Amino acid sequence: MRRRAGESILIGDDIEIQIMHIGESRIKIGITAPKTVPVTLKEMKLVGQENLAAARMRSVAALRHMLEHLIDSAADGQK
Amino acid sequence: MRMATTPTTQIQRCQTRYFGSLEYDQSSVLEFPEGLPAFERERRFLMLRQPRNEPLAFLQSVDTQSLCFVTLPAQAACPGFRLTLSPEDLEALGLEAGHQPSLGRDVLCLAILSFEENTPPTANLLAPIVINLRTLRARQALQTDSRYSVREPLPLREAACS
Repeated sequence: MRRRAGESILIGDDIEIQIMHIGESRIKIGITAPKTVPVTLKEMKLVGQENLAAARMRSVAALRHMLEHLIDSAADGQK
Repeated sequence: MRMATTPTTQIQRCQTRYFGSLEYDQSSVLEFPEGLPAFERERRFLMLRQPRNEPLAFLQSVDTQSLCFVTLPAQAACPGFRLTLSPEDLEALGLEAGHQPSLGRDVLCLAILSFEENTPPTANLLAPIVINLRTLRARQALQTDSRYSVREPLPLREAACS
């Protein structure tokens, strides 16, 4: 599929992707979609997975152990 | 335990993951209007700090006791860190358009830490939490031009930060 600035792509009946502006290293696109369709950057999926991993913390004791290690190494780094 | 307070106090109680039951002022709650990726329904968090764990900050969900992120100010994780907010992020945070906020004065920027068995802790510098210090509205803001990843090892190699 090849498009110029100002041209659009339709996905189904109610999703439109328009090429707004083509710059040197990036393009600006406009997306029209129903409110029920989430529109996010692909990297946000990775961020969501990382948030889930970060929230999956084990016990308080395990956290404390790791924090002590982290704070000690931060203190070492400042010496 | 320190929390921001304002003259109008409305004390509530919250069960926390690591610090037992805590009293907090309603006006100190961080508001995430869209939640966080994978936690879209979590809209309200408390920022908890303890002198003995400085510079760590704990983001405790007000509504879910078991959810508490451990974070580090992005510049503590990486001294050369520079925040770049997109026009969408600026608008969502209620910040002035076309003007990058000052870290520490306008906004607070926190990297969520991840702890896996047998590996050094990592910091998510690709998508730090940004808090508007005036309104306490907050958002996880993707750094699209960033060289950082969601898992930057801590302590960070100096080369990665220069």
